[in-house]
Amino acid sequence: MIKLSDVWYREGGDQILAEVHLHVEAGEFVCLVGPSGAGKSTLLRLVHMEIFPVRGKIVVTDYDAQDIQLREIPLFRRKVGMVFQDFKLLGDRDVFENVAFALWATGVRRKRIKKRVFQVLVEVGLSHKRYSMISELSGGEQQRAAIARALANEPFVLLADEPTGNLDPESTEEILGVLRRINRRGMAVLMATHKEDLVRTLPARVVRIQDGKVRE
Amino acid sequence: MNLLYSFREGIVGLRRARLATMITVSTIAITMTLLGIFLILTINVQAIAQSFIDRVTFEIFIDNSLSPEDIQELEGRISVLEGVEKVVFISKEKALEIYRRYFEGDPLEIVDYNPLPSSFQIKLKQEHLHPEGVEAVVKKAEALESVDKVVYHRKLFRAVYRTSRIVLIVDGVLFFVVLLSAVLLVANTLRLTILSQRETIQIMELVGATEGFIRRPYVIQGILQGGIGGAVGSFVVWGIVVGVRLRFPHLLEASPVLVLAPFLLGLLLGFLGSRVGLRRFLRL
Repeated sequence: MIKLSDVWYREGGDQILAEVHLHVEAGEFVCLVGPSGAGKSTLLRLVHMEIFPVRGKIVVTDYDAQDIQLREIPLFRRKVGMVFQDFKLLGDRDVFENVAFALWATGVRRKRIKKRVFQVLVEVGLSHKRYSMISELSGGEQQRAAIARALANEPFVLLADEPTGNLDPESTEEILGVLRRINRRGMAVLMATHKEDLVRTLPARVVRIQDGKVRE
Repeated sequence: MNLLYSFREGIVGLRRARLATMITVSTIAITMTLLGIFLILTINVQAIAQSFIDRVTFEIFIDNSLSPEDIQELEGRISVLEGVEKVVFISKEKALEIYRRYFEGDPLEIVDYNPLPSSFQIKLKQEHLHPEGVEAVVKKAEALESVDKVVYHRKLFRAVYRTSRIVLIVDGVLFFVVLLSAVLLVANTLRLTILSQRETIQIMELVGATEGFIRRPYVIQGILQGGIGGAVGSFVVWGIVVGVRLRFPHLLEASPVLVLAPFLLGLLLGFLGSRVGLRRFLRL
């Protein structure tokens, strides 16, 4: 489903990733573990097709990074949910609007939006806070809102870039619980983290990344 | 649905970025007012300069002994000269009448015959109203048989022509500078509005919004801001025109299109400015 073969990435003269091979199967939970600056975020951005490799092949379902057209990228992104350490939520809207935003932006009908937003908010346990402003939420709740947004378009994989990086231990456990639940439902999860101890509690395959190279 | 959403988002976006919107609309209003005033001034300065040039008359004095048939034939020959637009015959009698109207005294009190010659007054075509063009027509007219002499205020014509050219060039340069500053100012201010919503744009890209979907609300915002600012500009210009006309009824030439120009230009600048501003932030 996600296949990286001999991927190299360079930025401003620095070699960020070299000779990366990685397979993620449908429904699999994969944790990319490594210290800061190892290239984990770069790898996720490559899978999300925000950036493109200087060498090698990246195929995500039917989309090949070598052939994808610019106009196809929005359609591709609807199939790949992504969450970040800093949540990237719109602070001037409430939880409902933040999640609905992903559906509005992709042209979903109003009736369906209401139903779907409620579904995903129930899934992440945030339906009771749907009309709260983002600033009124705790860090863990904000990340759950971000996950709900990522799930809104029913992607086949969730990419999570240090999703617990800004959270206290209790919120971290909440988020990992949400990710576990999502994965149990059959959705693949590819999570990057520098916290080694986290991955021990997860039913995940661990892929170590150091100095731009992958070691399984 | 999508278009409705874009309109709603465009308007809501203006409300959300209230400060940036206020700055943009005021900037557009001020620049469009200045531009509108300058446009009216430019058109009026041009009209005044042109009316000075138009008022210079060219007279072709002819042999007094010509018969009416000869005069008619000469009139025909003058009217086909290159650069001549209109020919009017002034008879000796008509010339005397004009003399009496404008000057004191009567030539017939000094001499017992009408000493004034018959003449043709000619109007030149616009494209010939420059020193070289005028001289070319004068030379050709003087070369015609039965033409005594061609008279016009050569020195005055040259002075008026030169002055009007200088005024037009200076005015044109100033107008261009004002227009350019208005375009840059509006584009930069709109870019600031878009910059303040950069995060929203990034998130839209992240969740898979198409480029058109992302672009539309901002273009609508740009048009709205440009339109509101431009409308204020048109209103102020209209007020100034009405005020000036109250005191000096015939001074200003200002057609409705000229008064509406700031509004129309504001709309256009708002549209273009938002497109240019977006180009920098849209990575798709």
